[in-house]
Amino acid sequence: MAYSTFNRVKNDALKEPMFFGQNVNVARYDQQRHAIFEKLIEKQLSFFWRPEEVDLSTDRKDFMAMAEHERHIFLSNLKYQTLLDSVQGRSPNVAFLPVVSLPELETWLETWSFSETIHSRSYTHIIRNVVDDPSIVFDDIVDNPEIVKRAETVTRYYDAFIEMCSQYSLFGEGTHQLNGEEVVVSLGALKRQLYLTIASVNVLEAVRFYVSFACSFAFAERAIMEGNAKVIKLIARDEALHLAGTQHMLNLMANGQDDPDMVVIASSCKNEVIEIFREAAEQEREWAQYLFKDGSMIGLNAEILSNYVDYITNVRMRGLGLDEIFETRTNPLPWMNAWLVSDNVQVAPQEAEISSYLVGAIDSDMDGADFDDFDL
Amino acid sequence: MGATVTVNEAQSFDYGEEFSLLDSMEEHHIPVTYNCRGGYCGRCKVQLTQGKVNWVQDSLVPLEEGEILVCCCVPDGSISLAT
Repeated sequence: MAYSTFNRVKNDALKEPMFFGQNVNVARYDQQRHAIFEKLIEKQLSFFWRPEEVDLSTDRKDFMAMAEHERHIFLSNLKYQTLLDSVQGRSPNVAFLPVVSLPELETWLETWSFSETIHSRSYTHIIRNVVDDPSIVFDDIVDNPEIVKRAETVTRYYDAFIEMCSQYSLFGEGTHQLNGEEVVVSLGALKRQLYLTIASVNVLEAVRFYVSFACSFAFAERAIMEGNAKVIKLIARDEALHLAGTQHMLNLMANGQDDPDMVVIASSCKNEVIEIFREAAEQEREWAQYLFKDGSMIGLNAEILSNYVDYITNVRMRGLGLDEIFETRTNPLPWMNAWLVSDNVQVAPQEAEISSYLVGAIDSDMDGADFDDFDL
Repeated sequence: MGATVTVNEAQSFDYGEEFSLLDSMEEHHIPVTYNCRGGYCGRCKVQLTQGKVNWVQDSLVPLEEGEILVCCCVPDGSISLAT
């Protein structure tokens, strides 16, 4: 089925599934099949921030005074974060928008991706501040084998899903000869790939990002690179929201509150989802070895970070109703919680007091009693 | 209105009109994990084993039957929680 930017068929979006129903047409938000996505959009909009609002002036001095192995930890972590947000700034749009069927979900995907682009802009802001030539850092993201290895796994599910969607959009279901190869396109296989792709995004945001946050906050625990930590704190607040979004998508599918086909698919994907978590955790532990290969820093080393990988993986798996796969039960980095408390995140002071601050908010709930004080 | 909150059948305290159950638990030094205080990280999720709560802000994370976020609700009468 070819994608149309404005589906001419009159449809009732309240009866459509999240994905692979009719293409969306009218972007209306007065009614929602899954109101949670509208709430996520509202929250994300209330979080709006700009990297330039965070003062990084002391970070450069801190960076210059760091030991060489600490600079390696800081910059490698930043490169990894840049890779993750480069992927997330475009992929939800490219992969999911062509097959989305609910206006509120379509807008959530766009709002979500947009906020990831703010994160990418922040990394440029940070890197410009600490090094004279940002290209040295950015170029290494596509050259460094350790980063490239990660890029392959974080994009694998997205890329396969995008390819399958293109074939479905151009040729429809059936067996086709493409470039001399026989390709079978089936909606069932596409839905299965969709579920696994969302699960892999959930792992990216729930595990991989948090491991990188731990490194960023570990510097600030020593009262250095505090501007960077302020930016990462804002990013962590956004990521918690994105994580809630992917958890909702997965749960709505698995619980039968959306497309009935997805209930069976979700159940059949359970072991594969567990393996996605396991693979990500293994890679993050390997990454910890790479980060600390030349030496540790006060408060964090490869072993502690690896224990945190196990702990956060368990927490996230429980969040999806899966059994834990690692032994670590307690948080080896208890100070992380203080950095993840987002109510005291400072942006512009007038906007920073509460995380739910809404610009220009109005109360549109009215009933007859609201007019009781009126005299004509 | 005299709402007693019992936690893990071991500790209890009287809710005193704080904004949320989380605030009230902190006020009474009951250990509780939290991150966002805004209903979107899910870290303060607990089981409501008895009684009812009123929601003061939306939960943005998926919740199973009987689960509540203590940052998002207040007791409606006496309640019991399992953390």
